[in-house]
Amino acid sequence: MNIVVLVKQVPDTWSERKLTDADHTLDRESADAVLDEINERAVEEALKLQEAHGGEVTVLAMGPDRATEAIRKALSMGADKAIHVSDAALHGSDVLATAKVLAKAIGTVEGVDLVIAGNEATDGRAGAIPAILAELLGLPQVTQVRKVEIDGTTVKAERETEEGVAFLEATLPAVVSVTEKINEPRYPSFKGIMAAKKKKVDTLSVADLGLDPAEVGLTGAWSSVLEAAPKPPRSAGQRVEDDGNGGAQIAEYLVGQKLI
Amino acid sequence: MDFTLDEDQREIRDWVRTFVRREITPLEPEVLRRERNGRPGLTRDELRELQLKAKEAGFFGVLTPQEYGGMGLGAVMTALLESELGRSFVPFRFGGYADNILFHGNEEQKERYLLPTISGERISCFAITEPGAGSDAKAIRTSARQDGSDWIINGEKTFITQGNDADFTMVFAVTDKEKGADGGVTCFLVDRDMGWKSEPIDTMGEWGPAALVFEDVRVPKESVLGEVGKGFQLAMQWIGQGRYLLPARAIGSCERLVEMAIEQARTRVTFGELLAERQAIQWMIADSAVEIEALRWLVLHAAWQVDQGMDSRQAQSIAKLYGGVKANEIVDRVLQIHGGMGYTRELPIERWYRELRLLRIYEGTDEIQRRTIARNLLKGHAKIGGSLV
Ligand SMILES: Cc1cc2nc3c(=O)[nH]c(=O)nc-3n(C[C@H](O)[C@H](O)[C@H](O)COP(=O)(O)OP(=O)(O)OC[C@H]3O[C@@H](n4cnc5c(N)ncnc54)[C@H](O)[C@@H]3O)c2cc1C
Repeated sequence: MNIVVLVKQVPDTWSERKLTDADHTLDRESADAVLDEINERAVEEALKLQEAHGGEVTVLAMGPDRATEAIRKALSMGADKAIHVSDAALHGSDVLATAKVLAKAIGTVEGVDLVIAGNEATDGRAGAIPAILAELLGLPQVTQVRKVEIDGTTVKAERETEEGVAFLEATLPAVVSVTEKINEPRYPSFKGIMAAKKKKVDTLSVADLGLDPAEVGLTGAWSSVLEAAPKPPRSAGQRVEDDGNGGAQIAEYLVGQKLI
Repeated sequence: MDFTLDEDQREIRDWVRTFVRREITPLEPEVLRRERNGRPGLTRDELRELQLKAKEAGFFGVLTPQEYGGMGLGAVMTALLESELGRSFVPFRFGGYADNILFHGNEEQKERYLLPTISGERISCFAITEPGAGSDAKAIRTSARQDGSDWIINGEKTFITQGNDADFTMVFAVTDKEKGADGGVTCFLVDRDMGWKSEPIDTMGEWGPAALVFEDVRVPKESVLGEVGKGFQLAMQWIGQGRYLLPARAIGSCERLVEMAIEQARTRVTFGELLAERQAIQWMIADSAVEIEALRWLVLHAAWQVDQGMDSRQAQSIAKLYGGVKANEIVDRVLQIHGGMGYTRELPIERWYRELRLLRIYEGTDEIQRRTIARNLLKGHAKIGGSLV
C-alpha cells in the first residue's frame, strides 16, 4: 500500500493574511506559515492506512523553499519520505498548472496505490486539485470523503456533500480527497520530530519533471488578476423594531433585496 | 552571531504552539468562569489528563534528564516552551517535572520521592520562607533537633507554593544555631503523614500558597536530603535552577496582551477616530513591543548560559528583574488601552494583571535582584557588559 499525500504550506489562519501589491498573489512572507490543517488530516489517514496495510507514505509538496517546514511536520507525524517541488518558475501557478506539476511528481514515485489530498486548501480554496489530478493521472476520483477503507484492491469511501452522503467504491490506484470530518490528526511525537530530519526529501525543479517553465507559474496561468481590493467592512445593517408588524417589515426588506 | 532557531527548536516550539491553541486556549472561557466562582481553573484530574495527552506525544519532563524518562531539552528550549505556554492563562504545565535538588537524593530517596514526583503520583513543595524570614532566608528559625537517631522539627513556614496539595515537603531547618546558614541548615524530606499541617493563604492571585506548621514532627535520619548542614546550598541551588523560566512565561503572556491591545486600538473609535491613530496609544504599543523583544533576548541569553554550563546567576537576575518590572508595566498599559473594559472581569486582562504582580515578589523580589546585581558588580564578581564572553 504505497500512498502519496499531497501537502501544502499555507498562511496560518490565526495570523493576518493579505495579497502582495505587485502581482496580487498571496503574500507568503507576511504571515506565519503552517502545514494546512486539512493536510494534517490527510497525513493522518495515510498513516492509519499504512498501519493497517503496510507500505510507504510519501508526502508531496509544491511550494517555495519555506515549504520544507510543512514537509518536516508531515514527516514528524510519521510519513516515510518526501518530494518537494520547488522552483521560482512556479510562482503564481493556477490550479491546472499545479495539478500538472503534482501529476508529474507523483509519476516519480514507484507503485503508487493511493493519492490522498485535503478537499481544499485554507488559502486558495479552489478545491479542484484532486479532481484535476485524477483526470491527468487517468485514475478514479473519490473526493470529499469523511471515511475511507481499503478492501483488497478496492477503496470504499463515504462522500459527504450538501446533497447528502454517497457511498463510493473505486479500484486502486485512485485519488482520494478528505474533509475535516475524516479524523483527528495526531500530534507529531517528540521522537518523530527528532527522526524527521534523517528522512529523505527529494527536491525537484520544473525541468526535473520534464515540464516547460512557460506552462506553469504566472505566465502559464489561464487567468490573470488585474486588481485586488480588501473586502469592504460590513455596514451596520438595518434594525427592525417590532411594534407588532416586525415580521412584515422583515419580509418587506427581504423582498427589497430580492432574497424572497 | 546567529539568532535563528535551529530546525528542532522551531519544530518543538511549533508543536507547543499548536498544542496550546488546540488544547489549552479553548479552555479559557471555562477557566475564567470557574475562577470567578472561586473554584480552581483546572482540576487536578483535568490537568493530569492534558499532561497525559502531551505525554503520549513524548512531551513530558522537559528539563528532566532522559535517563529519568524526560526529554532533557535544556534551558533555551525550555525557555521557548515556557513562553509558548505563557500565551494562555490556563494554569497548564507539562508533567514529568521534579525539583532539581531531589536528584541529589540517595537511591532510596530517589525511589520514594524523585521518581513518583516525575510520574505525577506525588506532589512536592519547597519550604524555606518563614513569617520572619523571606528575602533574608538566612534568618530562618524552624529547627530540627536530634533525638536518638531521629530528628524533631518545630517551626512555621509560609507562602509555600503547592503546600496545600503536596504530600511531601523539602523543608529547611536549623540544625546548628551557631553555624547558621553556613553549615547549620539542613534539608529534610518530610511526608505529610509524618505530621505537618498546612493552612491555605488567600492571595490576589487565582491560587494561594500555604503556611506549613511543624509541631514536634518526628522524622527518621533517612529524611535528610544531602548532608546535615549543607541545606542552605541546596536551597540556593533550587532557587537558582530556573530563575530565567519565570520571566520566560511572562514573554508569552505579554505577547498575547499586546496583541489584544493592538486589536482594541484598531477597532475602538473615540472622537471620530480609531485609537490606533493616537500617538499616546501608539507609543504604549511601541514601548511594549520593544520591551518584549528586550526581555526575550535577556531570557534566552540567560538560558543559553545555563546550557553552556557558565555561571549564569547575573544574567538570570537581570532577566528576572527586567521581566518582573516590564511585564507589569505592559499589562498595565494594555489594561489602560482597553479603558473600562480592561478593568472588568469580562476580559482576562485583570487576571493577568493580578498574576503578573507576583513576578516582582517571589523567587527574589525586584529589590533583592537589584541587590544581587549591584553586589556582583561592586564586589567584582561580574563586570558591566561582561556577561558575553
Ligand atoms: C504566591 C507566593 C508563592 C511563594 N512560594 C514560595 C515557595 O514555594 N517556597 C518558599 O520558600 N517561599 C515562597 N514564597 C515566598 C517568597 O519567596 C517571599 O515572599 C519573598 O522572598 C519575599 O520575602 P517576604 O515576603 O518575607 O518579604 P520581605 O523579605 O519582608 O521584603 C519586604 C520588602 O522589602 C524589600 N527588601 C527586603 N530586604 C531588602 C533589602 N536588603 N534592601 C532593599 N529592600 C529589601 C523586599 O524587596 C520587599 O519589597 C512565595 C511567595 C508568594 C507571594
